[in-house]
Amino acid sequence: MSNHRHTPIKERRYGRIAVAGLVTASVGLLATAGVYAGLSATATGAESVTSGTLNLTLTNDTGSVGFSNFTPKMAPGDTDNVYVNLNNTGTLASAAGMTLAVTGTPANALTNGSVAGEGLTVTATQCSVAWTVATGVCSGTQTPILANTQVSALATATALSNIPALVASTGQVAHVQFSLGLVATETSTNGVAPASTVQGLTANLTYTFTELQRTGIATNQ
Amino acid sequence: MRYLTRPNACRAAATAAALLLGLALLPPLAGAAGIGGKAAAAESVTSASWGVTASVTSMTFTTATDQTSNATNTGTVALTAESFSVQVSTPTRGAPTFKVFECTSAWVANRCAGGAGTQVGGTLARGTTTTVTAAVALNPAAVLYLQVEPTGVIASTTVTITTLVTAPTQVRAAVKTNQ
Repeated sequence: MSNHRHTPIKERRYGRIAVAGLVTASVGLLATAGVYAGLSATATGAESVTSGTLNLTLTNDTGSVGFSNFTPKMAPGDTDNVYVNLNNTGTLASAAGMTLAVTGTPANALTNGSVAGEGLTVTATQCSVAWTVATGVCSGTQTPILANTQVSALATATALSNIPALVASTGQVAHVQFSLGLVATETSTNGVAPASTVQGLTANLTYTFTELQRTGIATNQ
Repeated sequence: MRYLTRPNACRAAATAAALLLGLALLPPLAGAAGIGGKAAAAESVTSASWGVTASVTSMTFTTATDQTSNATNTGTVALTAESFSVQVSTPTRGAPTFKVFECTSAWVANRCAGGAGTQVGGTLARGTTTTVTAAVALNPAAVLYLQVEPTGVIASTTVTITTLVTAPTQVRAAVKTNQ
């Protein structure tokens, strides 16, 4: 039977041996380094590089309050349209594609999908020119970039489609209408809402847009 | 003072090796993903509520005397119509019938502004439950005045009224806001 237990005296002896070994190795390495230093040669070259930037800004379209507080109490079928500009202000072009995530706090039936088929919905449409906010009319070319989608399905980032204005180069602006709606198909009995309801709730929504840089370029020169 | 025993030394060496190996194998995640641009904004919204509460939900008739109930819009949104589920009990004798009338002002001496009011639904027989609907626009806190008028009551009969408001059909028309 082997014995792995050691007395303190034996262990001190192991320590002394280890220290002696380390000292010997250090002396050897120093001596070797001195020999190589005598044989080295140096050549230098200079290169400068500047990194690009990728900035996505979100501003209100002309005449719009943008994302803000919707004061009236929203009834089923109501729509709140807001108009914003998404602008690539960096020095790098973005990759094709952009994602949108919408999160709601506090978590409730407006945003978490707990009442099947009910809750808030979002639709996004791009216009090739600035929207006419007062009427909600696009006098240019209108392109859907997000079909009517339950907010509960946007908790994870979802790809927007057809956003060419942000893809090609820097400085491009996308004029986007976001429509927030409420779907509700429930019956109140004797003035009381169902146990699971979308009535009388407040949701604070955060819209997060994300774009990625263009594909990296290999340059030979 | 603690001394490093051989088993402990072996464990320490193995742990260090594993950590180094892990670091070496980690992919250059940040470099592969590139840089991203992000923009965020916030919006808040509150949903409306809809419902009607009746001041009297159970009426017992022993004679042919009209009875009233006030239906109040207790929600936060205007309504275009209100439904009432009316249940008539089965009396021990007789075959009474009932009619429900609505008025937008209070009933005075069984009259609605000097008239008969507007009948809601048809004639309700004993032992039935019927849903009737009043197509009356009702703002929040506004009241619709109901009167139940019996015929042929000879034994105690109970009429129970349950209010029902269903969205979106009985809620005001949808509003589109551009801002």
